[in-house]
Amino acid sequence: MADSSLGSSGVKVVVASSGDENHPPENILDGNTKTFWMSTGMFPQEFIIRFAELTKISAVTVDTYNVKHLKIEKNTSQKASQFESVTEKGKGTSAGVRLYFIFQLNGSSATHLRFIITAGYDHFVSVHKVNVKY
Amino acid sequence: MVKLRARCLLVGDTAVGKSALSHVFHSDGTLFQKNYSMTTGVELLMKCVNIPETDDSVELYIIDSAGKETLVEACEKMWGVPSLLCLVFDLTSEQSFANCSQWMERVRAHCQGLHVPGALVGNKSDSSARREVQASIAQEWAESQGLEYHETAAKEMENCDALLLSLARAFHSLYQERRETIQNLSPG
Repeated sequence: MADSSLGSSGVKVVVASSGDENHPPENILDGNTKTFWMSTGMFPQEFIIRFAELTKISAVTVDTYNVKHLKIEKNTSQKASQFESVTEKGKGTSAGVRLYFIFQLNGSSATHLRFIITAGYDHFVSVHKVNVKY
Repeated sequence: MVKLRARCLLVGDTAVGKSALSHVFHSDGTLFQKNYSMTTGVELLMKCVNIPETDDSVELYIIDSAGKETLVEACEKMWGVPSLLCLVFDLTSEQSFANCSQWMERVRAHCQGLHVPGALVGNKSDSSARREVQASIAQEWAESQGLEYHETAAKEMENCDALLLSLARAFHSLYQERRETIQNLSPG
C-alpha cells in the first residue's frame, strides 16, 4: 500500500486553514511527494481528512517541510467536530529539513483525522503527503 | 491567488504614535485620533493589503502593544510569535530612537529564531522644527537590523500607505521565496 494515494481510496481533505490555489490541500492526498499544501502564515495551522467510513488505523505518516510540532486528533462521527486528542510529536532539528512524522494509532477507529501544526521552523510550512497504514 | 496572514507587532516607546498609526491604517487614511489616549494593554486591528500587480493579499493582524515601561511585561504575553515587526520612534525624541535597540531585543526573544522582516518607523515627520533624529542615522541603524526605514506623519496621514504596503510586501516576498525553495526540494 506504500505508493497508493489516499485520494483514490475515497479519503478527502474537508478542512484546511490555509489556501494557496496553486498548492491546494488535495495535494496532501494525491500520493505525489512533489506536490504539496502550503501554509500561508501564522500558527496553528490545521487540516482535517475524512474517510469514506469508520476505519481502523494502525499508523499514520506525514511528510512535511519545516514543521516543528504536529498534533493528531480523531473522531468517529459523521461531522468534522468534537475531536479527541490522539497523539503529538515535536521534532528537534533546525530549519530547512524535510521531516517525516510517524504516529502509531494501534488500530484505533476514526472517520476523521485532524492534523494541527502548532509550530514551525519557518513562517511557512508544507505538507507533501499523508499516508495511512490500516 | 493567495491570501497570506501575518501577525504584525507594533512596538516602540510610549507616545511615539503607534496607535495613531494603526488607526490611520485601519481607516484607510481618513482618521487621525486627535486626543491622546495611552494604550495600556494590547489592541488588535486587522487590515487587508492587496499586493499590486498580483491577485495576492496579506491580512495584517496588527498588535498595537503599550509602550509604557511598566506595562510592557504584561503585554509581551500577548505578542505570540510575530511574522512582521513595525518598530516606531518619535523623530522629535532622541531617547525614543535610542530605546529601539532594547525593543529589538525584546522582540527577538519572541521570534523563536525565525527571521522577522519589518520596518523601523520615524513618526511625527511633520514636526520638522523639533526633529532630533537625522534620517541618515536612523536609516543606517535600520539597515543594521535588517529593517526598512520609513518616515511618517500619522497626523497628516503622510506615507502611512507606503509603510503598510512595504510591510505587506516584505511578508509576501518571504512567502514567494519559501514557496520556491519548497518547489525545488528533492522528492522525499
